Order: sequence, then structure tokens, then C-alpha cells
Amino acid sequence: MATITSELIQIFQQVFGDPAINLSPEMTADDVEGWDSLSHANLILAIENHFRIEFSRKELAGLKSVGDLTRVIESKRVK
Amino acid sequence: MATQAEQHNIGYLCTRHQINLGLGTKTALRWISSSLERTSYSFTDLEEQSNRVANLLLSLHCRESDPIFIFLPKMPEQFFLVLGILKIKAITCVLFPNFGPEALLDRMADAKPVCVITRKSLLKRVLDIQPEIPSIRQILVVDIDEHQSPDVLSYRKLIQQSSSEFEVPLTAEQTPSVLHYTSGSTGKPKGVLHIHRSVATQKQTMIEVLGVKEEDIYWCTADLGWVTGISYGVIGPWALGITQVQYGGGFDARTWMTILEQEGVNVWYTAPTALRMMRLEDKSLYSSFNIPRLRSIFSVGEPLNPEVIHWAENHLHRTIYDTWFQTETGSILIANRSGQVVKPGSMGTPIQGLEVQIMGEDGSILPTGERGNLCIQPGWPSMFVDYLNHTDIYASKFRFGYYFTGDTAYCDPDGYYWFTGRSDDVINTAGHLISPFEIESGLIEVEEIVEAGVIGAPDEILYEKVVAYIRLKKDVAWTKDLELKIRIHIGNRLSSIAIPQEFRIVEFVPKNKSGKIMRRVLKAWYLGIDAGDLSTMEE
Repeated sequence: MATITSELIQIFQQVFGDPAINLSPEMTADDVEGWDSLSHANLILAIENHFRIEFSRKELAGLKSVGDLTRVIESKRVK
Repeated sequence: MATQAEQHNIGYLCTRHQINLGLGTKTALRWISSSLERTSYSFTDLEEQSNRVANLLLSLHCRESDPIFIFLPKMPEQFFLVLGILKIKAITCVLFPNFGPEALLDRMADAKPVCVITRKSLLKRVLDIQPEIPSIRQILVVDIDEHQSPDVLSYRKLIQQSSSEFEVPLTAEQTPSVLHYTSGSTGKPKGVLHIHRSVATQKQTMIEVLGVKEEDIYWCTADLGWVTGISYGVIGPWALGITQVQYGGGFDARTWMTILEQEGVNVWYTAPTALRMMRLEDKSLYSSFNIPRLRSIFSVGEPLNPEVIHWAENHLHRTIYDTWFQTETGSILIANRSGQVVKPGSMGTPIQGLEVQIMGEDGSILPTGERGNLCIQPGWPSMFVDYLNHTDIYASKFRFGYYFTGDTAYCDPDGYYWFTGRSDDVINTAGHLISPFEIESGLIEVEEIVEAGVIGAPDEILYEKVVAYIRLKKDVAWTKDLELKIRIHIGNRLSSIAIPQEFRIVEFVPKNKSGKIMRRVLKAWYLGIDAGDLSTMEE
């Protein structure tokens, strides 16, 4: 999980153009400057490219926080 | 002391004037944080907080007519700042927090602000462009406790030292008040300048269209970076002494329904994109909420699809009234409203005292049912008074004694107006007007792209989505990584709303013989229809 979080931090920093971004599991779009429904698509694409995974529509609908993202990535990596 | 008849200052009318009317203890703002914690501010609190802002700005030598920029996400300080800036007769300009450096630079280089108020997480974006904006004397940061440098100052520290007493100078109705930037089809965004007189139409339409009553709880969801946010999320409600709800989080259907229910909202003014997204939610969500106090729902930003109106009638058991206005008009001018038949999909009818015509390019007034330019006879109080530094373009909007809105429409036999499109290439995505030129300029900064043409295409949620036609350099392949690189570049450089939702890779971007991108051809390609006359297209 720790590795996924550190990789996610790098992705967030790249997508939102802010090298100061740090993440915690409870963080949501309201806590990250620029994380809105349009930039969310960039975030998802960046995560899919980086981890070589694809989110299903159902999984996408359930992603509300950083913790949710980490859990889904973890489950897909295990598979 | 100034009499009310002489005092047109919006900051005064929204605060001290309400206290004088006996509303000092009435709640002006119910602030709902993103974690749904509520903080209430009375009109006296608004008065004192905005007075502190006014005194703070004066101590920094900000003066009448100085542009002052607010670059913050929605938070209570934003509201105090807007009112405080207006109180010293300076010009307030609120920027969307998702703006990147290029979008900031375009606006600041044009307006030359003397002061920018931001917060820690956005500070770097301002500092990155500060060397190119020498007019900026101070940057105030709302969430640092100590001054960071001689010109990066702690707002928190300074505001605590500022007095809550302030006598608002007598303000003539022609005094500049608010600046909003809007995009055209060419060139940089233009600064739409308003004056304190605007409050008259904003108050009129709060009553005539939105039907707001003295004891109502009112909620306008617009960001203050939008004209709707300032006109109907600050000026309109508070100049009438109305209690309003403001929420600090983003869109979430369940959360928004919770706010409507818990706060007992009576009148709700929101955006079609949000309503369309709500429509996609499971229908059972809406039956689990009880919203008996909600009297009316209004929408603004782009035309509302009839399906959304029907959905609201079935699941929220309310009619949605669509309204029309522009950054330039400053307030609602054409609207559906309670008490008149709603024709789903129409803009509604003009407000009282306004003369609207559908006109041809030659100034002729077109007959009922014929599509043409939507034009308004100038003179309504909230009409803009200039495009900052572009008076020539401002003047070009007024022809044959009418303001040409840039929208096309027709009028039906019952006097209802129906929006049919734009007369230029400006893209309306989720209520934001975006210039295709700005996005094209951003795209060709990506080294793999040779040329780009951008259009707006129909979209179920956004009304229009940004579609980019791009020609790649020889031997460059289109990959997911390249798409991501381009999307991030546009998102961070301009703003998230400018990110293309779809890319089409082409062998060439159609241009005319003078090199102008032929966006109508791109639109025809996208829609799979005949592109029409191609005689002017470059071989």
C-alpha cells in the first residue's frame, strides 16, 4: 500500500502540476486544488497508464477518495 | 452620512444598509463546509468582516479603480473580500481556482492588478507569473500566519490588525465595480467591466424572475468566478437582505440533496450540467429526501434540455425554470418563471422594461419564427460598460442601436425566445465560454503536435464538449501516454475546463487561403455532414 501511495503522490503531482501535493487516504476532490470532474479524467488515465490497469465503470463510480483509489489499485494488482 | 438615494455602493447596500433596515442579526450567509459543518454569518458579521478588508486594502495603498484579484476556492473570505474591495471603490475580479499559469497571465497582464489574494496551495501559480506582472505590489495569502516576504503577506495577520469600522465613501452609480473575463473566438480573454448601478437589475430579477421572498433560504451554486456567482451569489441576495446558503465542496448529488433538505432551501439556482449529472443518478436517491420547502429551481449557463425538465418534474416534483444571461448583461434578461407557461427548451420571455429583437446582419428586424442575432436595446442598469483595454471591440458589439449578444435565436408567436447557437466559434462547455483559439495555442506548444483545430461538439452532460483535431509530427504515433501528456498540459496551463474530451488525429487541419482555421469544416467532419463551400480552403 505504501508503494502505491508514493506512486500515486507522483501521479497527483504531475496531473495537478503541484510538486507540493501530499496524500492521505481520507482526502477527496475537495481537498486537492484543481481536482474536479474534468481533471478527474486525466487522473484516471494517468493511473491506468502508470499501473497498467483499467477501471470498470462501476469502480469509477465508487472512487470518492484517495483511499478508494489505493484500494482498487491494490486489488487489481493482486489479480 | 450619505443618504440611500446618493449611495450606490454595492458593498454598502449589501451590509450597512441591511443593518440600517433592522436586519443586523439576521443570517446573511450559512456557510456549509465540504465536511457539511455549518457556520452562520449575520449581516453585522458581513459588515464587520468586509470593513476589515476595506481598511486592510487601504493600509496597503489600494485605491479607487485599482483592480484587485481574488484567486481562491469558494470560502467565506471570498465573500468578505468581494464586499470589502467594492467598499473602497476598487474593482473586484474573482478567478476560478482551476486556472493555470497561462490563464492567470492572460487576465493579469490585461488588468494589471495591484494586489492578489490567494492561498498557500495556489501561491506557486501566482509567484510563477509575478515577474511578468510588475503592477502586483502585494500577494495576500489567507492561510499563512506570518509574512513570507515584503510582498507575500499573511492576510490572517493583517486582517486581525484591521478595524471593523469603515465609512463607505459616497459612490456614484457609474463607478466601476466588478471585472469578469470572458472568451471570444479569437485573441485573449476580454475583461467585462461592470459598474455599481448593476445592483438595480440584479435586485429586480431576484424578485421578478427568481421570486425570492424576505424569509426565504436561497442557494446559488455558482462559483464567484462566474458572473452568476457574483450577481446572484453575492449582490442580488444580500442587496435584498436574503439569507443564502453557500457550500464549499464540489458536486455530489447526494450531498447537494442533503443540503437542500437540511437547510430548507426555498429557491435554488444552479447549472444545467449539475442537473444533467443528477439525472444520471439512481432514481431512488431522490425519493429518500424530503424537500417540501423547495419552491423553485432555476438554471443558467447553457440551454437546458427538455428531458432534464421532465426528469425534475417526475423525480423532484418541481419545474426547472431556465434563465438566460451573459457575462456582459450582468443579470438575467430572458427567463422562464413561475406564473407563466413553461415551454421546455425555450429561454422564456424578457424581463420587464427590456426590449429584445431578433435582427439580421443588416440591422433589419426579423419576423416571428425567423432565426437571427439576439439583440437587446441598451440601457438596462446591469449592462457592461467596457471590455477593459478593448473599447474598440466593445463598440463593435453595438450596432443599429442594439447590443448584439453573439447568440442566435428566434422568437415564437407567444413571445418566447429559443436559443439556436452562437454566431461565433466560442465553445460553451458546462456553462464556461472557452475560446478555441486559446486551446489551439496551448496544443501546439506540445512538441509532438504540428497543428491543431478545436471545436465544440454536442454533449449530453456538458452541452458542448471540446474536440481537438490534431496533426502530429511525422513518425509520431498516437498513444495513451501522448494523450495524457496533452491533457495534462492543457489542464495545467489553461484550466480543466479547456481539456479536450476527444481527440481526432488528422492528416491536415483545414485552413482558408489566409491561414485561418476553418472550424465549420471540422464541425461538419465531426457531425458527418456536408462541409459546404470549400472554395476558400487551402490546397
